[in-house]
Amino acid sequence: MKDKKQLLSPQEELKQKEFQQEAVAHINALYNYALHLTMNPDDAEDLVQETYLKAYKFFNSFERGTNCKAWLFKILKNNYINKFRKNAREPGKVDYDLIKDFYHTIKDVQSDTTEAESDFFHSLLHEEVYQALQSLPEEFREVIQLCDIEGFTYEEIANMVESPIGTVRSRLYRGRKLLRAKLEDYAKKRGYDTDSGE
Amino acid sequence: MNCNKAMVLMSAAIDGELTPKEEEELVSHLAECPECRAEFQDAKNTKIIIRERIVRVQAPKTLLESIVRMTTVSS
Repeated sequence: MKDKKQLLSPQEELKQKEFQQEAVAHINALYNYALHLTMNPDDAEDLVQETYLKAYKFFNSFERGTNCKAWLFKILKNNYINKFRKNAREPGKVDYDLIKDFYHTIKDVQSDTTEAESDFFHSLLHEEVYQALQSLPEEFREVIQLCDIEGFTYEEIANMVESPIGTVRSRLYRGRKLLRAKLEDYAKKRGYDTDSGE
Repeated sequence: MNCNKAMVLMSAAIDGELTPKEEEELVSHLAECPECRAEFQDAKNTKIIIRERIVRVQAPKTLLESIVRMTTVSS
């Protein structure tokens, strides 16, 4: 029987190999981002799957040497906008029941994985941090997520949200200010030292 | 530099996104302003809380497998 791989051109074979190494490696980050956008594991899976199909199709246009994860996030974000924008909640409003449901669903998802379950319960204790983040207007929440959780640079974020770097900087400043007010009690309770700058 | 400008710069300083000149200005302001030093520490804590406390999960194995499959057979 002929191996399917033998039917591929050397270029295509190289592309596949590179794609697995460069792009598929970011699946967990993409899935988490999709979960936080959609708050639904099925939708998140669809979104990630479509993102990868599109990314593979246009992998030749990916600029080698740049951040592949940032490129994938941008594709995912565009997919999300096209697919879910109509149903998106109003910025600044937060549905706490939805967040609770989300955490319970995540628990089910998590139990299918190899991650230690205790990690999940540890995270559950910090549901209030998630609620605080989710309660921010979308323009602020998005940049905080991309910067603090995913570790993108301002330039990469600016490219993803299609805004100037100065806007990203200012949204981060304003978003964090709001977040800090919401997390003030949390930080004190959990022993984050607020006086060490003195 | 006044405190208002320092506060705007702090957020970018935490991310390592200041220009050398801005960094120099902020450092010298912080050296002489205890209120801003406390503020800076609070701002750093917020980033740490978000980074450490937001739930992260692994993508389902079936999703990974289907993506690998889809991007290996198409040619």
